[in-house]
Amino acid sequence: MEDIELQKIWAEYDRKLEESRVLNLQSWALNLKSFEAIQMQKAKTKLNRLASFKIGAVVLGIVWVLFLSFLIFNRLTWQGIIFNISAGMIVLITAIAIIVYIKHVVLIRQIDNSENIVDTQRKLALLQSSTIRIIGILWLQLPFYATFFLTPSMLYNWSMWQWLIVISVTGLFTIAALWLYKNISYKNKNKKWFRVLFNSTEWTSVTRAMFFLDEIEEFKKNN
Amino acid sequence: MNKQQANPAFLQLIEQNRGIIFKICNSYCASKNDREDLAQEIIYQLWKSGNNFDGNYKFTTWMYRIALNVAISFYRKTAKNSATVSLSEGDIDIEDKTGEGYETEENFRLLQQAVNELKELDRALMILYLEAKSYREIAEVTGLTETNVATRINRIKDKLKQKLLTVNK
Repeated sequence: MEDIELQKIWAEYDRKLEESRVLNLQSWALNLKSFEAIQMQKAKTKLNRLASFKIGAVVLGIVWVLFLSFLIFNRLTWQGIIFNISAGMIVLITAIAIIVYIKHVVLIRQIDNSENIVDTQRKLALLQSSTIRIIGILWLQLPFYATFFLTPSMLYNWSMWQWLIVISVTGLFTIAALWLYKNISYKNKNKKWFRVLFNSTEWTSVTRAMFFLDEIEEFKKNN
Repeated sequence: MNKQQANPAFLQLIEQNRGIIFKICNSYCASKNDREDLAQEIIYQLWKSGNNFDGNYKFTTWMYRIALNVAISFYRKTAKNSATVSLSEGDIDIEDKTGEGYETEENFRLLQQAVNELKELDRALMILYLEAKSYREIAEVTGLTETNVATRINRIKDKLKQKLLTVNK
């Protein structure tokens, strides 16, 4: 076969499709009731599930923020100052994550399959992979979980060893939080620690989306 | 349900171009059940996006965009560890195993297999090329530049030809 006419070979498809019963599309397309059934069946598409997951996270986040805010307003005393600062920072970081999630939900609603493939698939993959970024942001809360229980009177009466332990733990948590915030990113998806951290099945679609982003960038390259 | 979208004329247009859906489903799904699910998903998205149809583009361009976007997303959702779609249950039967038509049939099967083994984005590109779409239309569907479309298609085409030649030797 010296000169293969790919398009000519492919044209066989049309003849075969006419003859075969691979998909019973004709009956669906001509039956309005089927369309209504499809609408019902497809009410929960993947995108809707992703949006539902993010809306669920927003609701949980808001409940958490309201709960912490309630605790803060009930401890507006000098003794509660460290708790209030710690809880306040946790509220702030959670609020940032909530805003990012709301932005994602809006983006999901804006995804239009009738746009070109590169743009649509890129938006979808970015949305999926951005879940990782939220995790990075949420890690910033870590040091405040090591300080929220402290009170000024405790600090006045502490020995050097107690101070040393609290400073060490808080310092360690701060370094870990900043490192995770900086490094939990799409760019590090090939690193071993990253793959170990996000190895479980619930992260599969997210990590797969990250690799797909690379494929899209490669696809767009004109070389 | 939008009356305009569900009217017989809209359905007639989809029906007239149902080959697009068939071929895309065959290229992105390994099993008959998946193909049926994908076809339903594509029809649903076409129906849902009816209002967004931009008259500046051809109906087939709009249809290819939706069908391929849905197929790629569906493929990414359903594909487990396999990076390709093999021919399996429910694929088009080749009845003529002898005679003149056999070589054509075999080439067709090999080409279909080779296309199904491409990465999902290259697969979309190649389906459009094999459907004899112009570089301009392919660029409109994919979002690539015409130059990029030409470069990538030539590269994939060479690989496919090479594959078919090797198998046919």
